[in-house]
Amino acid sequence: MSHLFDHHGAPGQGYAQPAPILPASSLVLPDSLIRKSAPRWPRISEPEMVRHYTWLSKRNFGIDTGFYPLGSCTMKHNPRVNEVIAQIPGIADIHPHQPEHHLQGLLSIYHEMQHMLEIVAGMDQVTLQPVAGAQGEFTAVRCVQEYFRLRGEDQRTKVIVPDSAHGTNPASAAMCGFEIVEIPSRIDGRIDLDALRAVADETTAVMMITNPNTLGLFEADILEASAIVHNVGGQMYYDGANFNAILGITSPGLMGFDAVHFNLHKTFSQPHGGGGPGSGPIGVKAHLADFLPGPIVKKRPIMDDEAKHAIDDMWFGWYEPTHSIGKVQQWHGNAGAIIRCWAYYRRYGNGLTTMSQHAVLNANYLRHVLHREAKAAGVGDMIVDGAETDVAKHEFTISLGPAKESHGISAMDVAKGLLDMGYMAPTVYFPLVVPECMMIEPTETESKETLDTFARDFAKVLQVDAETLHAAPITTPVRRVDEVYAARNLCLRHPYDDD
Amino acid sequence: MVDQLPNLGREAEMLAIMGMSSIEDLFADVPDEVRMKGPLPLRDAQSEEEIIADARRLLGSNVALGERVSFLGAGLYRNYVPAAVFQLITRGEFLTSYTPYQPEVSQGMLQAMWEFQTLISELVGLPIANLSLYDGSTAAAEAITCCVRVHTRKATQKDTVYVSELTPPDRMSVVENYCQGAEIKIKLLRHNPDGTVNLSSAKDAAGSCGVYVEQPNPIGILDGGLPLLKEIIGEHTALIVAVQPISLGLVEAPGAYGADIVVGEGQPLGSPITGGGPIYGIFACSQPYLRLMPGRIVGRSIDVDGKEAFCLTLSTREQHIRRHRATSNICTNETLIALMGAMHMSLLGPEGLHDLAVRNMAACTLGKQKLASIEGIHLPHASSHHFQEFVIEVPGTASDCLAYLDSVGIVGGFDVHRWYADRPNWLLVSFTDQTQANQIELLAEHLEVWAADQGVTA
Repeated sequence: MSHLFDHHGAPGQGYAQPAPILPASSLVLPDSLIRKSAPRWPRISEPEMVRHYTWLSKRNFGIDTGFYPLGSCTMKHNPRVNEVIAQIPGIADIHPHQPEHHLQGLLSIYHEMQHMLEIVAGMDQVTLQPVAGAQGEFTAVRCVQEYFRLRGEDQRTKVIVPDSAHGTNPASAAMCGFEIVEIPSRIDGRIDLDALRAVADETTAVMMITNPNTLGLFEADILEASAIVHNVGGQMYYDGANFNAILGITSPGLMGFDAVHFNLHKTFSQPHGGGGPGSGPIGVKAHLADFLPGPIVKKRPIMDDEAKHAIDDMWFGWYEPTHSIGKVQQWHGNAGAIIRCWAYYRRYGNGLTTMSQHAVLNANYLRHVLHREAKAAGVGDMIVDGAETDVAKHEFTISLGPAKESHGISAMDVAKGLLDMGYMAPTVYFPLVVPECMMIEPTETESKETLDTFARDFAKVLQVDAETLHAAPITTPVRRVDEVYAARNLCLRHPYDDD
Repeated sequence: MVDQLPNLGREAEMLAIMGMSSIEDLFADVPDEVRMKGPLPLRDAQSEEEIIADARRLLGSNVALGERVSFLGAGLYRNYVPAAVFQLITRGEFLTSYTPYQPEVSQGMLQAMWEFQTLISELVGLPIANLSLYDGSTAAAEAITCCVRVHTRKATQKDTVYVSELTPPDRMSVVENYCQGAEIKIKLLRHNPDGTVNLSSAKDAAGSCGVYVEQPNPIGILDGGLPLLKEIIGEHTALIVAVQPISLGLVEAPGAYGADIVVGEGQPLGSPITGGGPIYGIFACSQPYLRLMPGRIVGRSIDVDGKEAFCLTLSTREQHIRRHRATSNICTNETLIALMGAMHMSLLGPEGLHDLAVRNMAACTLGKQKLASIEGIHLPHASSHHFQEFVIEVPGTASDCLAYLDSVGIVGGFDVHRWYADRPNWLLVSFTDQTQANQIELLAEHLEVWAADQGVTA
């Protein structure tokens, strides 16, 4: 084990700093402001620090170390040139309060991204401000809320979400102050139009839904669902978490949606960094555009004295919509993430359709060979599809319900068995509507061989006896972690001897 | 031609295995009425070489602050971040991982974040820290909604918080957006003309759910009165203090004077400014707030063999479990940037943090000495204590003054008029460990020229 807080080296060993430009003795602070005891931070030299974090990194699984089929998270390869680009001083060393003529390059990229996202989503205006998917949801629902307030429709206090929705949907709507109405999915995992009709009324503000849904199924009745909500005067919100399935195939605009968020970090490959950063822009139809948070970038031809700062004779300027809800993050969104996603977009251009086609190809192929290999190994009856369907989209679900019933093997057991085979486990126990659920999303950046091998290894895990699987994993840096112990014996920081 | 797709050219083979003949078969479930017709009206794909060339051209046209002499801060600060941080952060095991739902293969990031929690906890003087929020503004907003959840039942001023009237409008706007859904009433906490909190009007906040102040405050003042605030507002009103983390190398940790929640922009520790994001928000609190706080938390535990192991804990507060009753909707956060913060803090150590704080304050102090002596330039808070930035009152408008400074290659600071409508001639000038004495001289010279040109004679 390597412990950061075991390091008690010489003071200032980490990195030597130049002398202050005035001696410390000339600085004056009253006693009430002076810190009395220093933080008990470690004293670690650079060689030890580099080794510590390298050691930690070796105890962490990333896309770079192996197949990461974590459903709903779109763990695709992160091209390295994007990291190089993000270190260019023209992005790393710029301040959001610099004047427009200092930032024409950044603004032009923002404009290009707004435009591209408007096209792929079929929306009229995009803002890049929200910094994560959940924040995008919150922002868009806030815009709809202000839209209704301005129209005097204060009675619209409810937001409808399917029971298969991501947890962020109801959480974001509740943060805006809406009451949540959850509707059950049909037995096949798709939206229940009758259930929707039963709850949609003049109190409906928004319906939040993702398509393909969280089971990876395309909601073919989406136009009908949109019509039901629009007929009672409500707005349709598209959760873009599953956007990777549909670029160039269909769009939220074509499906009747009024607002959408993008998880740029998923679809456009900002590295997920162990939990973030993300980027969650939103797009809306024209009637909601005035409510968006700024800044939004608009372009116009240059005027007389602007040529020396301009790019391609166009001027890019920040713009605040008239009835803007205000800000949801203090600055201009996660600019560094947007630059990486711009580089990713440039890599595909109009070939983004091919990207989605391959995401769907890989998911369906994996679904096929997973069942094939399980059958060939004689364990085909341990898994069933999470939902009946001919084709899935970018992800699919399976249920380990039969395995649980016949062998006492749970989805969690299989997940831990997969860790021992060198894989990240798929998402487990979500969506809640599928018992013993595994949600599998291979993404388009995995080869056929990887998918074939994973399918065979998955079948091998199913052949392992329950007792052995309950004990898995055994090859990982630690074995099954006791989460109940962690919650009952809370230790949220290093326990110092002198505490 | 696109790359990045290992199965390009093998579609037919894979489809045949599935008993399909065309990619179109995979989209048979998408009704024709919603199908996009024709190719996407977007530019053609580019190669890596072309992308990087375009990136260099476009981003190269931005003015990077390192190319100029810069005194722009106002919430984001250019401190030196050691090279080891940037090198280590590129390790794919960190960079390309996600939320550690499977702790057995995520021990590295989990332990690093548990260490981050400890570093932040020690820095601010409170026992609990989460592993980051989006930025300082959302951390402030989440702290305010959190304190209402904790205190409103017993509060005499229900659903009410007092927020410093100096809070910049762009930060306040975030707070308002986060608060409106819970119908939280935001009242303004008054300040004295010298920029310090008006302690006698702070009595009005007693019995409310919380008080939000910043130290140093948005115009750079270190307020010696803050340590008295907790006693004034009382035990059942949360004291929320937003900090510039590096200042805590010199300035008292808010936990030591009764703060219940400490938030802040973590950026100066570990991260370049990056146009304002991705950066990370700090959130730390005391015990009573633990179960109603936002964000992910790592706990130390054991594995089945009794070996030390780490995992996410107290998840029942979070959206993926609690759904619409969650304490926050946050899911994806800023873990990687927080990791950069942890690396920077590790290398600094307690003495390094102190030295870094001294360097910031020394530059500010020298700047104050130089600028205060310029005829026509007035320091409205000259007698106050400043950590790394202060306001100067310029002849003419701050906006025109900044344009002049820009014309001579100086990014002169922040036009406070963008925050406060009644301050057209306040310029907020910031100093960091990177500020050199000759740069301050240059600023002083040009401010002198500016003042003289405005008709103020020496």
